[in-house]
Amino acid sequence: MVEIRDLEQINDFEWEIPVSYRNDMRVPVRIIASRELIKDINKDKSLEQAVNTACLPGLVGRVVVMPDMHQGYGFPIGGVAATRYPEGVVSPGAIGYDINCGVRLLRTDLAYEEAQPYLDKLASALNRLCPSGVGQGGHLNLSRAEVESVCRDGSRWALKEGYAEQDDLDRTEESGRLEGADPMEVSQRALDRGRDQVGTLGSGNHFIEIDHVEKIFHPEAARAMGLQEGNLVLQIHCGSRGFGHQVCTDYVKDFQSAVHRYGIELPDRELVCAPMDSREGKSYLAAMRCAANYAFANRQVLTHYARRAFEQVLAGEVDDWHLHQVYDVAHNMGKIEKHRVDGEEIEVCVHRKGATRSFGPGAEDLPEVYKDLGQPVLVPGSMGTASWVLLGTEESMERSFGSSCHGAGRTMSRSQAKREVWGEDLRDELERSGIAVRAGSMAGLAEEAPLAYKDVHEVVDTVADSGIAEKVAVLRPLAVIKG
Amino acid sequence: MNDKNAGFREVDHTADLEIEIWGESLEALFKQAALGMNKLLEIRWKPDQEALPVRQFAVEAIDEEGLLVSFLSELLYLLEEEGLAGKVFAITVAEDQLQAEVSCGRVESFSRDIKAVTYHRLNIRRRDGRLEANLVFDI
Repeated sequence: MVEIRDLEQINDFEWEIPVSYRNDMRVPVRIIASRELIKDINKDKSLEQAVNTACLPGLVGRVVVMPDMHQGYGFPIGGVAATRYPEGVVSPGAIGYDINCGVRLLRTDLAYEEAQPYLDKLASALNRLCPSGVGQGGHLNLSRAEVESVCRDGSRWALKEGYAEQDDLDRTEESGRLEGADPMEVSQRALDRGRDQVGTLGSGNHFIEIDHVEKIFHPEAARAMGLQEGNLVLQIHCGSRGFGHQVCTDYVKDFQSAVHRYGIELPDRELVCAPMDSREGKSYLAAMRCAANYAFANRQVLTHYARRAFEQVLAGEVDDWHLHQVYDVAHNMGKIEKHRVDGEEIEVCVHRKGATRSFGPGAEDLPEVYKDLGQPVLVPGSMGTASWVLLGTEESMERSFGSSCHGAGRTMSRSQAKREVWGEDLRDELERSGIAVRAGSMAGLAEEAPLAYKDVHEVVDTVADSGIAEKVAVLRPLAVIKG
Repeated sequence: MNDKNAGFREVDHTADLEIEIWGESLEALFKQAALGMNKLLEIRWKPDQEALPVRQFAVEAIDEEGLLVSFLSELLYLLEEEGLAGKVFAITVAEDQLQAEVSCGRVESFSRDIKAVTYHRLNIRRRDGRLEANLVFDI
């Protein structure tokens, strides 16, 4: 177990586990955390998992963990690791089963006060039109060929099918489509599982939430994003559903033998990996990009349904209700990017698992409107608390491979949360505080109780004070839809 | 049913789900893993459970741990695709192959979506005349 005495303090917000901590580490682990958050490092095994990750072949720089880190499987949630491309490895488990799980933020020009009388109806319409819940399929039942098109084209498929506006794609990471996706590298089983899940929310910590912009901290960035204090916005948090889970399951199994072929020794089998220039590595990258595109299309189709819900409830009643895209960004992904490491610009595969890309001003792939400002970073808080809109910075490029936090971060197991909170009580409490709740399962609601999470404000203060992101706006919830 | 020789119990995990399983043989251990997974899924069975459908499948893996993950992954797929979950198991393990004949119950609904069975710290241990392992599920 990593103890506080094992850490070297770099500055007020950075701590390091040096390579001397364990002889199989290839790079140090850098933890971004306030003094308060670092006190809790022994609450779970996340740092031990970060040390295991630091043993992957081909790593460069350091493994970075965010202040919302918590224990996962193999790689900790909130972890960032970069391997040299193409000879370094790619690790499916270090990206996760929910490939391209991410967050989309849409905004309206509608004031919260004006929308207030319709919020309950809006929550019901969103719940009715956006399929959610355990094992639930959606409104679409695609042919195998159509699933392959989704794999190749992501949000571009959705645009062609009438589920998107061009501006949605312009304001999505990679325009909602990763190059290099090849459905031939995806199993038939994954393609089958993907047929009825485009446009579905799923369950667990996934949600749709109506918020209002409570406070703006960066007027120039807020203007570019179209955010105004008091106005209504919508967040969608979900990923690649059973399709992505199957892709990762298939390749984690396949790589169990690949590590032996390439003579790779690892402290945890969930970290299995293969060189990116190997047959196995290339296959996984092509399949992972299919799942990433599937997730972009999924959030896009849900956006279409959300727009229908807003239209059904608000058209003719109020003006300015249209949902405009602010940004869509992944927090579980592997991307080939250029980064400066030890003074040299090199290509690396950045594994982000529970960490959000947060490119600074001038970075490639940013839409024109954000080019001079930096990339919007979307950080949903725990249910019923608050969410944040941040901006990526130059410092995040230098210190965390252009990455920032992705949420509040769990601190309590699901069973413990259920022992402490009744779902019905939590729903009533949220409703009393003015938040409409639509949830498929009361037990699932209890598992996501705010007391099971860190304080999102403390997490955001830490990334902002450390310089890897800037605050733009804080959002307050008005309605939550969960599977 | 849990006893000294065979059983499962849930272990606290910050974000995902973990169970500890034990059994006197590999076959018994795998059965406990399947029953433990059913418990985590919080399955509600359909009232009509007569004439249980039987499904047969085989999986291959490089070792016992790999067979366990693949066996459970097959059961998850069966649940998602056919709405069936295993109740009675006849399992044969021989080297890198597992054959399963599973009598299934029809599932009315289940409350938890298990994304995957992971290999995280998975190690089948032999202790005090029985086999033990810890399994982490991504949810």
